Amino acid sequence: MIYYGLLPQKESAVERCSDNLKSGYMKPRVIILLIPVLISILPFSGLSGQEKSANYGNIPDELVAYDKYMKAYKYHFLEPTQFYGAGREKLPPTDLKEVRIGFLGPMEGSVIQPLGKQMLQGSMLAIEEANKKGGYKGILFKLMIHNDAGLWGAAANEVVKMDDEKVWAFLGTIDDNNSHIAIRATLKLEILNMNTGDPDPTFTETAIPWVVRNIPDDRQSGYVLVARIFKRDKHRRVAVIRANNRYGRVGILHFNRSATRVGYPIIIEERFNDGETDFTAQLERIQKTSPDAIALWGNAKESALILKQIRDLGMKQPVYGSDRMVSQEFLSLAGSLAEGVVTTCQYNPDSDDPKLKAFKANYLKRFGMEPDVFAAHAYDGMNMLIEAIQKVGLNRVLIRDVLTDMKTFQGYQGVTGKVIFDATWNNIRPVFIAEVTNGKFKFSPAPPLEKSEQIYKKPISGYSY
Amino acid sequence: MKTSINKRSLRYTVLAVVLAGIVLAGLILLKNPVQSEKNKMSDNISVSGNYQNSSDVDLPNSSGVIKEAKAMPVYGHWRNFTKKDGLPSDKAYTVRIDGDRVLVGTHDGLAVYENEEWRTYTTEDGLAHNGVVSIDVSELTGDVWIGTLGGLSRWSSGKFTTFTQFNSGMPNDLVYCVFCDGKDVWVATGGGAGHYDTHTSQWEIFTEQNAPMHEPWTYGVSSGGGKVFIAAWGGGVIEYDNNTKRFRDYTDPDGFMEIDLQPDDGLIHDITTATSYSDSILWVSTYFGMSRYDGKNWKGYFNTDSGLASNFINFLRAEGRVVFVCSDNGLSSTDGTTWVTYKKDDNSENGKAIITNGNEKKEIPLSPSISHNFIIGVDAKDDLLWVATSKGVSRGEMLR
Repeated sequence: MIYYGLLPQKESAVERCSDNLKSGYMKPRVIILLIPVLISILPFSGLSGQEKSANYGNIPDELVAYDKYMKAYKYHFLEPTQFYGAGREKLPPTDLKEVRIGFLGPMEGSVIQPLGKQMLQGSMLAIEEANKKGGYKGILFKLMIHNDAGLWGAAANEVVKMDDEKVWAFLGTIDDNNSHIAIRATLKLEILNMNTGDPDPTFTETAIPWVVRNIPDDRQSGYVLVARIFKRDKHRRVAVIRANNRYGRVGILHFNRSATRVGYPIIIEERFNDGETDFTAQLERIQKTSPDAIALWGNAKESALILKQIRDLGMKQPVYGSDRMVSQEFLSLAGSLAEGVVTTCQYNPDSDDPKLKAFKANYLKRFGMEPDVFAAHAYDGMNMLIEAIQKVGLNRVLIRDVLTDMKTFQGYQGVTGKVIFDATWNNIRPVFIAEVTNGKFKFSPAPPLEKSEQIYKKPISGYSY
Repeated sequence: MKTSINKRSLRYTVLAVVLAGIVLAGLILLKNPVQSEKNKMSDNISVSGNYQNSSDVDLPNSSGVIKEAKAMPVYGHWRNFTKKDGLPSDKAYTVRIDGDRVLVGTHDGLAVYENEEWRTYTTEDGLAHNGVVSIDVSELTGDVWIGTLGGLSRWSSGKFTTFTQFNSGMPNDLVYCVFCDGKDVWVATGGGAGHYDTHTSQWEIFTEQNAPMHEPWTYGVSSGGGKVFIAAWGGGVIEYDNNTKRFRDYTDPDGFMEIDLQPDDGLIHDITTATSYSDSILWVSTYFGMSRYDGKNWKGYFNTDSGLASNFINFLRAEGRVVFVCSDNGLSSTDGTTWVTYKKDDNSENGKAIITNGNEKKEIPLSPSISHNFIIGVDAKDDLLWVATSKGVSRGEMLR
């Protein structure tokens, strides 16, 4: 909870009054004199707009931008953006032979193609299950599959194709660039985009009222890692090595900023390219800074190779990393060196939830492999789209409305857990800590970041309303 | 003893209530300052209905409106066009006045209004894609450049020529904005911005590789004062100097997506949607409000501190000293001081013009009003204002 301006004083006065009353210590005249004081501060209790019961994006109090120093003029993302456009009155077509839902993902020509395959399979399973139950009023759902990794900016062209194909909504994608390119087109064409695989925090910070994301983002992961690395494990000098792309740059952003805000700025940040195999130069530079921990942000393969080369250089620092390390590929490549690596995961794949167990069994049976985080969230996301269509029918605006009304799908219980939308329709469900123990990732709920009163100062200047 | 305490309590209670009353009265006065006699008069005028702006109202009745709006133009006599009137689609993305005709980009084709009639052009006529999202007309040649969902079309001497990623060096096929700047035709796309030199038939493309953009996602482009201003989604405004061929960027100084720390310290947000330069002023729209830059100082506008209809702005266009702002919940216009905002009522064809001067606000009924509040495109020329909306296009006449 964050307070501004008069509110802390007001609360303390009320609390003092309440305590005194309880103890029977207060004299009647004092109570009476307090009446005008309480009445005079009453109008300020409606300082809405800037006052908020929770920080945007689950930002821990200690990590709110500039909050230690001043109040900002404007806070965004506290209320959902409404869609005021036309289209709700449009009647559904009467001659449909299939109900089309789009899919946008890395299908070929991308280093994250395996993740795209899992996302596609999760989506397919949801569609197949819905069709077994009769589809939409007896009309079968059909997935319209599009590759996001073609010509530069292909995602935009693919969304246009989906509009031409008359899809009712679409699911995708994973790559940050392609996701952003797609949502600009989706805003123009007014097709709801359910994102189940891109953890870029800025994705939903575009205020586009046609975008919903059911996978918790890197903002959440960053805060959890800050709590773990600096608060629990007491590290002070942390080095970062991250992918030299948008995933690496934006993914590590909130971790870096938060590290500075809790008093321990990152001492060095090195980068690597996808497909790179020799990281000696970057790691030697890191070694010279004598860090006491290393944070890694990249895909599974590069992360495993970097971990090996860290140990080859004789560096014994504990290693922390991003959620993409949570994969069999990382464990296989890193072998025993993976032991003790700590990262985050957007859900608990080992949960005893019967829904998750059934999904895992069905997925394994259908595709002959274990589902990963992209498959599980795609399965949930596609089921949300299907349920939205079942609820409101074939109208793009109404499908958008029901998915974003902050009621119907708020608290939606999928195989990955609960969906808790913030005002940008970003799932701010708490993420999990994943730690490699005995060759396997073990998952546990991430503890919240405790506010450090010593370094947190209440705002003393800025704007008031 | 008991009685004396009660009497004392009663005195304190009376005192407390009086004090509370004084405090509350003070607060109310602070919130709603006493209006001057002049303001009171204006209020009375505004609700009298004298400004009713329907086709059956004579222009002299509008003189009060003009006075209230100070030097700002006010438009009325609205006429709306939808599919029933000949548009290929109700969803209109853009509008451009071209001499005696008006070009409208819709989801289902290019509509041209001439001699009181609509004519539609589609892919069957050679258009790159039926979804027309941006239009500009070259002052040099008179050619019409059309940005579509699937390529750029040049409409010249009755013939369409198409530019795509495949057949030219264009950055991406979804052309969000096209703008003619002398011999150069600029486009803003999701794959970068670029300009086509109509003399050399060459494209020059700008992305994060050769311009100060975080990413190549661009959404709007305009020019003026020898410079080109690119609205880069997430990257603020990229300024390109035609003479020096150099770039500079303008971003939100606080560096955070979730706040605007200071309203006038620079661009209010990095997610920009359009730029327009006129009368030595650069106007920039975002989904979080609007910014104005006079070459030295920035000024930010939000719906909470100005007459702006909504912070979610799809597009803007400045003509002279006035900027027309296409928001998701009404059309606003301003010279930076006085605001005129047009809004349609929810359940009728009527609406209102809201004139805002500082803390003073006047509402003037309009009958009919604009065709929809979700505004996507606008163009003004001479005494006419054309507006593209989510449900049809509207034409307004300047009141004198």
